This record gives sequence, C-alpha cells and structure tokens, in this order.
Amino acid sequence: MNKLVKLFITSISAITLALVSFTSSFAKVEGDYIVLGSAISLTGKYSSNGVHTQNGYNMAVERINKMGGVEVQGKKYKFEIIYYDDESNPKRAAQLAERLIKQDGVHYMLGPYSSGLTKAIAPVTEKYKIPMVEANGASRSLFTKGYKYLFAVLSPANQYLEVAIDLAVEKNGGKGVRIAQAFEQDAFSQDVRLGILDAAKRTGSEIIIDDKLPKELNDMAATLAKVKATKPDVLVVSGHTKGALTAIRQISEMKVDVPMLAMTHCDAAKLSKQHGKKSEYALCASQWHKNLSYKDKFFGSGKKYDRDFKKEFGYAPPYQSAESSAALLVFKDAFERANSFDRDAVRDALKTTEMQTFYGNIKFGPGGQNTAKPMILFQVRCKGDECENKVVAPTKWASDKFYHPIPKWSERS
Amino acid sequence: MNKIKQKDLILYSGLIILGLAAPYLFSAFKVQLTYLCVLIVLAMTWNLQGGEMGYNTFGNILFYGLGMYLTASVQVGMFFPLAEWTESGGEKTFVHTTAQYFQGIGVGLLVSAIIPALVAGAIGYAILGLRGHYFAICTLGLGIAAGEIAGGIEIIGAGQGFTTPPFPAEIVDNEARGKFFYFLSFALLIGTFVFVKYIYGSRFKLILNAIRDNEDKAEAMGIQTMKYKITGWMCSAFFCGLAGGIMGGLIGYIDSTDVAFDGREMGVFMVLMAILGGKGTLWGPVIGATLFHFFKEGLWTLILGWQYVALGVLIVVIVIYFPEGLMGWLREKYPERFGEVIDEKDRKAQVELK
Repeated sequence: MNKLVKLFITSISAITLALVSFTSSFAKVEGDYIVLGSAISLTGKYSSNGVHTQNGYNMAVERINKMGGVEVQGKKYKFEIIYYDDESNPKRAAQLAERLIKQDGVHYMLGPYSSGLTKAIAPVTEKYKIPMVEANGASRSLFTKGYKYLFAVLSPANQYLEVAIDLAVEKNGGKGVRIAQAFEQDAFSQDVRLGILDAAKRTGSEIIIDDKLPKELNDMAATLAKVKATKPDVLVVSGHTKGALTAIRQISEMKVDVPMLAMTHCDAAKLSKQHGKKSEYALCASQWHKNLSYKDKFFGSGKKYDRDFKKEFGYAPPYQSAESSAALLVFKDAFERANSFDRDAVRDALKTTEMQTFYGNIKFGPGGQNTAKPMILFQVRCKGDECENKVVAPTKWASDKFYHPIPKWSERS
Repeated sequence: MNKIKQKDLILYSGLIILGLAAPYLFSAFKVQLTYLCVLIVLAMTWNLQGGEMGYNTFGNILFYGLGMYLTASVQVGMFFPLAEWTESGGEKTFVHTTAQYFQGIGVGLLVSAIIPALVAGAIGYAILGLRGHYFAICTLGLGIAAGEIAGGIEIIGAGQGFTTPPFPAEIVDNEARGKFFYFLSFALLIGTFVFVKYIYGSRFKLILNAIRDNEDKAEAMGIQTMKYKITGWMCSAFFCGLAGGIMGGLIGYIDSTDVAFDGREMGVFMVLMAILGGKGTLWGPVIGATLFHFFKEGLWTLILGWQYVALGVLIVVIVIYFPEGLMGWLREKYPERFGEVIDEKDRKAQVELK
C-alpha cells in the first residue's frame, strides 16, 4: 500500500512541477498586446448575461484593435483578454481572479457579470492593487467599502427603479402609492430593494408586500396571488433575466392586474421578443438605450452600435453588452492618458476619467461608481405583434409618452 | 512491524515537508493548494459517514457553511456591531487592526468547530434513526434549507452576502495572506488526518463498520448504535466547521447558497472525491480529492462551458468502472499489497462452484 501511495505522490509532484514551469511566463504586456483578465459566467444561472458581457468586451477589443489600438509612449498596442468561466459562483470567481493575477500575470482586470461576483473579486484585485474596470456590478455596497482600484461604468443598483416610484407618485397626483415588491435573494436585487425603500420613504408611499424570491427564480405565484388580493398601485420585480421572464409569464397566466409594473433586466431577457404582447406596458430600468444621443469615435452613436452588434452577434445588444464595451473604452483612455503601464499610474488616470462614450458620460465618484450618467426607464409598447422598448423617462431623452395605467387583462386583446 | 512503521515515518515526514515547502515552491498556486487541503478534509470527514458508517450524507455542507458564517460573524462581532458591518447601505468602514484580526479569527474558528459539532449532535439525535435513502434525502434537505434560511437573516447579510474582514493592511507582504490561510488549512489537514488515522486504529471504527455492515446485528450485539452514529457525525462536523471557517476568510465573501451552503458544488464534490478515491479507506479520500482537484484545475479551463458535462462523464465513469474507487480497484488487482492473503485452494474452490 505504501509503495502505491509513494508512487502516487511522486507522480503528483511531477505534474505540479510541470505545471509550475510552463504557466508563469505570461506578463501584463506581451509584445504588442496589453493582456486583460476576466472571469465571466459562461455557465450557471448568469450564463446568458455572462455571454452578453463577453460579447460586449470582445466587440470593443476588436474595434479598438482595428482602429489603431492603444498608444502608449509612442508605441501602438492591442488589447487581448484572458477569460475563465466562473460558473456564476462567487467562490470560483475569487479563486479565478487570484489565478489570473498570480499565475497568468494579469495586471489589469475587467469585471465579471453581477454584483455578487464583483463583490467576490474586488477584495482580491484590491489586495494585489490591480485596477479593475467593471461594467456589471451595480450593488451600492461595492462603492461604500473604500475600494481604490475598482471603477464601475454603470450607475449603482439602488438608482435602478427609484425613478419608477417617482413616476407612479407623479401619476397619483403627488400622493404616496401602495407598493408591492418582490426581489431575488442576491446582492443586486436586494440593492434595488433598498433604493425602493428610500424612494418610498421620500414620497410617503407604503409598501404592502415585500417578498424575497429564491435564486434560480422559476416561480413567484405566491407573491402574485397576494398582489391579486391586495391590488397595489405598483408592482416591482427584480431578479435578473430569469426573474423578468418568470414575472411576465406568470402575470399573464394568472391575469394579474396592476396599474404599473416595474422591472429590471427586460432587455437582457429579450422580453419584447420572448413574450411579445404579454410583456406590453412593462416598465424597465436600463443603464442604456440605443436611442440616447451619446457619441464616441469608436462606435459612433448608440444606434450604430446596435446595428454593428446585431451584425456581429445576431441579436440586439442589451445594456449589459453596451456597458461592457464601454469598459474597454475607459481602459484605453486611461492607458493613453497615463502613458505608462505602471498600475498606479493607470489607476490615477482612471480616477480622473471624464469622457463621453456611445454608452453615456463616464466620470468616477470617490467610491468608484459612475456619477455622470442617469438611469433611464423604458416601456414595452407593441404595434400589432411587433413590440419595442420606448424610452419614457427621464424626460430629457424620452422618445415616447409613458402609458399609465396598464389596461386590465380583460380589456386587452 | 517495526519496518512498516519506519516506512510510514518516511512517507509522513516526506509529505509534511512537501506540504510545508509547497507554498514556497509553488508560490503562485497557494490558493489552489489551500483549496486542496480543505477538499481533502471534507472528503475525509465525509468518508467517516459515507464510507465507514454506511450513511450517505449530503448534510455535511451544513456544518461547513455554519462554520463559515460563525467564524466571520465572531471575527466582526467581537470588535464591531455586526448589523452595521453587514448592512450594505452603511457608509461606515470598520478596519480590524492586526491583533484584532487574528484574535477574531482564532476565536471564530474555535466557535466554528464547537457549534457545528453541537448542531450535528442535535440534528443527529433527530434524524440518525433514518436509514439508507431516507437519511440521504433528509440530509440533502438540510443543506438547502440552511441556505434559504441564511439568505433571509439580515444580520449576516441575507441575500446581499457577507464580506469577511479583509486581511490587515498593516502587513505589507503581499504573500502573507496566502501563506497564512495555506498553513491554517494545512494544519487542519494534518489534524484531521491524525484524528482519522487514530480512529482507524480504534474500536470506534470497528463499531462504525459494524453499523454499516448490519446495523440490526450490531444492535443485537449490545452496541448502542445511536450513540456511536451521533458521535461520528459530531466528529465530522467539528472538522467541517473548521474547514468552512478557513474558506470564508480565504474567499472573502460569503453568499448564502453559492459559497456557504453550497450543496450543489462542495456538497457533491466531497461525496464524489471520497468515492473516486475509494470510500471506506484511509487514503482513498486523500487520493480522490487530490486527483479531482488536479482534474478540475487543470482541465476545466481548457473546456470552457463544457466542464460540467465533463464532470458528469467523470461521475458515470467512476460509478461504472471504479464502483469501489481507485483504492478499491487497486485492492482488487493487487490484494497482496494490501496485506490480504489469498487462499489459492479456496479461490479455486469458489471458481469451480461458479
């Protein structure tokens, strides 16, 4: 027995040695390439949004490389990204971040998808002083920890649906409304909830249903039954892509009538395509919409980005892709302004970022969140069987009028 | 006898030296090595129930998750208000001093060993009367329920998750954190191994085996099986809790269902590793965990997106070709090396009977 054990141990050590000898050769900048690292959810519950994120990154890398790359100290560099699959699991994400930094020698990171995973990775990047530009971790708690190397191009999660409550109050003649809400048990959705709680307090609204939904959300019939019984003025649901799909499916099945339905992740879930008319009138928080008038020289306008993305990947870009592309633009800008590959120089450059991209204005607050860009709300509207997302708030970019209240199911054809 | 002991001595001292040197030799792999230690501990403790006692539990993840939350909570709660720490809206930033950090984690780990053991005692008293599939299903529920409950408790962060205290900033050495957690987990591994090895030489193990082979007969022989079953589970919980506590500190972020009560991954892995190596043996879980970890770290990134399919195939292969695990397979092939003497006459007689 001992002989076997010894043999086994020898072989394991041999394998380890072999591993060590051939993995430590990567570096932050290799030849003409600036190597970025990212752990992305390619499998697991965030896989669809993980792929949106990855497509956004890839699209920007390709575009920037094609248009001359990044110029540092007179030399042109190209971007390259090392990806790992974090399986939508924070434990794995933290481990992979460590791996990217320690074994692959990555010195600049791109964020993963979702707040929970960003929360798991941020302590690691912070520890090794690796600048990370992230595009998909919106949780407010990310920006209150005093992280110095974390930069988010998106608006924090608590801002997602606050506007919706304001809108409801406005439609109610300035009086408080009765809110029913259901949120998934995860970092992001719970933050959206905090935002609603603040808005409710501010407007004197009352929260009559406050449900927590399990992860891997496939059923929320219990909440909807309560909504049917109590008739609130607003129903707020947040649970990533699956939450949006489940909500619409069950609301239409159970014929739940609410004057206003506010959600997140409608465009990532391709609601208007998947559920068509059933999803009409749903109000959705979004970081970005193609009709906004922002511009940059790489992607042009939002509409052009939308067209190019469709051509490349065969579907309309959700905001998750747009913000991910923007993260690369931020990195490029920072490298060029820093004119160096020194991590702290790049970090300082990131800190003073002030630019416009097709996705929106970007300027980082003290906690690392983007303070220059407001959230928008759009509403799903249908003509015949064709459904589209129309921007309805804030009024500066509103392309259409907000339709309120939602007609009852018995009146909808 | 002496000769075997000498051989053992060489093997063990070799392994310990390798273990102590590993973080310096493979500096970049410290986190993976820490994971390896913890995985081995989980596989070995699972083996006490699943292998020796014949009670296939999926519930050990409960103690792991419990240990994780307890260590972190104690570490924060000893010095700062826990509720404010976890409340995500809180703008305050608390910083542990170096002394506070280590005191906190020390006391936290102590708590994370004792409380899961007590919990195992209490739950074991209630459900260890169940046998076979009923016990397995019941324990499967434990982990899932714990995850959902933890996801609803605000003071430990609920669905927001719980950020564990960061390693003290006063220690400038970048490698210190990795080393600290590695040696902690390595110490745990040695402790667990020594303990399990001790059990293997004791009457206790024979009683567990008796329970596995025929619980009713064991009972009839005058063994109070319930008492031993509970004690066995408490021992496992003790080490699982410690493992969880270390992992919580290492990962830095605790999520109720994905990190702490992670039955889908850790909970299944510990069973898989023990079976891969050969349940019911001392070395089986160690070898199983090591192979599994190498497989996972080495190959998974090469087959992005397909790793779970590969894992599924691996499970099927193990179950079909190595139902007794690697150790079981080797034992069947080379029984003499395991100290088993085959009576040729008897073997022939059996062949003829067939």
